[in-house]
Amino acid sequence: MKTSRFKSIPWHIVFMVTIVILIFPIIFAIGMSFKPLEDAYNNTINFLPIHPTLENYLTFFDSMDVLKITSNTFIIASVVTFFKVITSFLAAYAFVFLEFKGKNTLYFLLISMIFIPFSITMIPNYLVISDLGLSDSIWGVILPQLADAVGIFLLRQSMKTIPTSLIEVARLDNLGHARIMKDIVLPLVKPAITSTGIWFFILSWNEYVWPVLILKTVDNYTLPLALQMYISSEGGTNFTVAMAVAVITMIIPLTLYLMFQKYIIGTFTSSGIK
Amino acid sequence: MKEIRFENVCKSYGKTEVVKNLNLTIKEGERLILLGPSGCGKSTTLRMIAGLEDITSGSLYMGDKRVNELPSGKRNVGMVFQNYALYPHMNVIQNITYGLKVQKFPKDEINLRTDAALGMLQLKGYENRLPKDLSGGQRQRVALARAVVKQSDYFLLDEPLSNLDAQLRVSARKELVKIHELYKQTFVYVTHDQVEAMTVGDRIALMYQGHLQMVDTPENVYNRPANIFTAKFIGSPPMNVIDMAFDNSNDSAYLAGQEIPLQEEWRNYIRQTGVKELAFGIRPEHITLSKTQLKNGLKGFVKYVENHGSSYGVYIDLEGNEIIAMSESNKWPPKEAIYVEPRLDKMHVFDKQTTNSIGYPTSIR
Amino acid sequence: MHAVKATNKRMSKEQWLAYGLLIPTLLIFALFMFWPFVYTIYLSFFDWNMVKPTKEFVGFQNYIDVLSDPNTYKVFGNTFLYIVLLLIINCSIPYVFAFILDLVLKRYKNFYKGAMFLPSVISLVVGSILFTWILNPVSGPVAIILDWFGVEMPIWSKMDGWVIVVLSLITSWKVFGYNFIVLYASINGISREIIEAAKLDRVPLWKIFFHIVLPMSGATGIYVLIITIVQGLQYVFTPIKVITQGGPNYASANAIYHAYHEAFVLYRTGHSAALSILTMAIFITLLILEFKFVERGVHYEN
Repeated sequence: MKTSRFKSIPWHIVFMVTIVILIFPIIFAIGMSFKPLEDAYNNTINFLPIHPTLENYLTFFDSMDVLKITSNTFIIASVVTFFKVITSFLAAYAFVFLEFKGKNTLYFLLISMIFIPFSITMIPNYLVISDLGLSDSIWGVILPQLADAVGIFLLRQSMKTIPTSLIEVARLDNLGHARIMKDIVLPLVKPAITSTGIWFFILSWNEYVWPVLILKTVDNYTLPLALQMYISSEGGTNFTVAMAVAVITMIIPLTLYLMFQKYIIGTFTSSGIK
Repeated sequence: MKEIRFENVCKSYGKTEVVKNLNLTIKEGERLILLGPSGCGKSTTLRMIAGLEDITSGSLYMGDKRVNELPSGKRNVGMVFQNYALYPHMNVIQNITYGLKVQKFPKDEINLRTDAALGMLQLKGYENRLPKDLSGGQRQRVALARAVVKQSDYFLLDEPLSNLDAQLRVSARKELVKIHELYKQTFVYVTHDQVEAMTVGDRIALMYQGHLQMVDTPENVYNRPANIFTAKFIGSPPMNVIDMAFDNSNDSAYLAGQEIPLQEEWRNYIRQTGVKELAFGIRPEHITLSKTQLKNGLKGFVKYVENHGSSYGVYIDLEGNEIIAMSESNKWPPKEAIYVEPRLDKMHVFDKQTTNSIGYPTSIR
Repeated sequence: MHAVKATNKRMSKEQWLAYGLLIPTLLIFALFMFWPFVYTIYLSFFDWNMVKPTKEFVGFQNYIDVLSDPNTYKVFGNTFLYIVLLLIINCSIPYVFAFILDLVLKRYKNFYKGAMFLPSVISLVVGSILFTWILNPVSGPVAIILDWFGVEMPIWSKMDGWVIVVLSLITSWKVFGYNFIVLYASINGISREIIEAAKLDRVPLWKIFFHIVLPMSGATGIYVLIITIVQGLQYVFTPIKVITQGGPNYASANAIYHAYHEAFVLYRTGHSAALSILTMAIFITLLILEFKFVERGVHYEN
């Protein structure tokens, strides 16, 4: 036993170093966002704010309608999450508890969409959204995201763990599918729905590729798009402001994650991919 | 009439036939046990009654009505599953009353029935517990209560005790019988455990590889097995079945090359049936053992002795046939000669080709 | 006969319900996945700029143009380099890490899982901006530390090769933890008895990895492999777009970014569509090869 403990120490070091590399940028950003610009430039090594200031945040609030941008991000993430969960739940229910023609083919077809590169669909989707008059609108960002193969996959995995005998008991009591769905399946997969929902919310909050095609005016931007304006390969001059925007962009997903960490990690550790 | 009748019922999944041409009538109010080894089709048979499996061909009647097409919910059956199938998110009361509530029973009626069931099954005081906070025995009783409160005409149980430990099983068995005496539903019970079958059943239907082997009272299934399978499946250790030669010219019978003096009635009976190839069956507990020659004894050699607690199982080599006999003593050293005397009033004779019992002479018990 | 009819009747009622439940999903998928797929194939045979009222049929001209453009090869070369880097950083390393966490480490398991996954919840735009500063070749902390050791930080955003390495690292920062968790779950799901039996037989760790864990978690391994390639290239799009815009001189563009660039910067939808279809074709070929060679050693449970 003693020898195995010794063997594990180098690995603990490797893990710790990896985690420092992964977490450092976040701490760096938070520290820098509270520093005056000169301080930051003079000393990028020490990320602790010696003269803490809110100046960077205020600059950001002055330059853009931050509330509007945040609420855009929030509306998009909420609506997308809400509908994705519902469409995924209904579809997963059909795939798990109902028999119908073409079930396996259809499931395979939907799931295989996870592997379609974005570039295949971007032009037609852009044109459809334009034709619907939704370009430069958050609804244009929302619409294509209302259904999701990953959601169907995760909820299907979760529903498959419900013993069939539970459904059979319900059938013996002459329960219809609406009842079974509402009274039995929904309460039992609630944890999976919560964690999938939180995950969707985070993904949508962070979404960049599609919104950047659709949204044109700054007032319609989401937080990642606003943040993008502070980046250039040379770094630009608003370094500390950029860090403040970065902090604002990541604060919601980070909080959600820290609150629901067990749930979220649980989704991926219990779903098992087969 | 709340009887259940299978008429030429077959069930297959694709090309695999699980139940083959089943003809069986379950009488109103009786306790019928569907018994058999795993994969024999007994659970499928039960699930066909519940309407959880479609019937491939043939007809199923419940109370004079053909129910092949009737959905589960309209068959008026209560069912207890092996894993109990309790709703994990509902407490005891909710689990028991959920079905009644959905079917819009009046509140007073629900309370009345639930109260009775809770009392009878000693679940008072556990009303608000979730299934995960109950012991195995309590869960089983909740599942029972849930099926009982439906007061359905048919009561189906799929291995309801197999997840309980041995001691609990004994008391649960009694409880099941007690409940049935009270409600007198038509009661169909699936198990692979012959002791359960013997203790609970009014009649036992034994199945093997999709075929119904025998349907009769526990006594008859044990004492008058209809075929070799039944003879060997019921009883532990199983019945010894060895080839028997019968000489029609002088009515003498031979086991393992040694003559045994059959009773007059048996000799006449066997001759009359005219069956050519015979097998002789005797239960281990119906064999007398001795170290010295017995009157009707067959000579063999001890192979080994197994401790069964209250008695010992002695494995004996009889000219290449292995038989087992029960003995009070374990003083049977291996490889030594032993004399075996079957109690000929307890013997069984089978037709080797059909494996069916040839029956019994009328004068014998 | 009766029974068969009855089955069909119940089936059909259930079928209608099933299709009903699937309709919302199918509508969205049809409009934004299936139809675009077909339409992109269609567009790849036309000369168009997204604005002109008419599209001109040009046959395979777009494909010829794309295949005779030296930049295409540069971009595909870059794409290949991205794939190799992402497979190393985001597939092989997390695999080993997950294995070690499950089998070797006993303490801090939850902390490691939680901390490694953390960057996965942060926008890649945030990641991009953080790393442009942390890796700033003049004033970034990494450059300063390297300077102490007399090493000069390359101006990576202007250098072929380096730029791809850095952009891959930024992407990996986000994806690493996710892949790690998914792989960990799969390895953790392997029956303990099998692994303990191997340990009792004093099978060396690396053999346990290659002979037991790899084949038995292979289904998940393949899933991670595929998403590392397909989604990885999609993820890389973000740092390319926000940091380098594919520069310097296409040195950091990958196939997906290039398709975007053709469509939405140069307005050559035909070229973009043809490029996407070609990318897709290469992916499918890769997948088939993968299924032929990698899949053989995989043990599927169920």
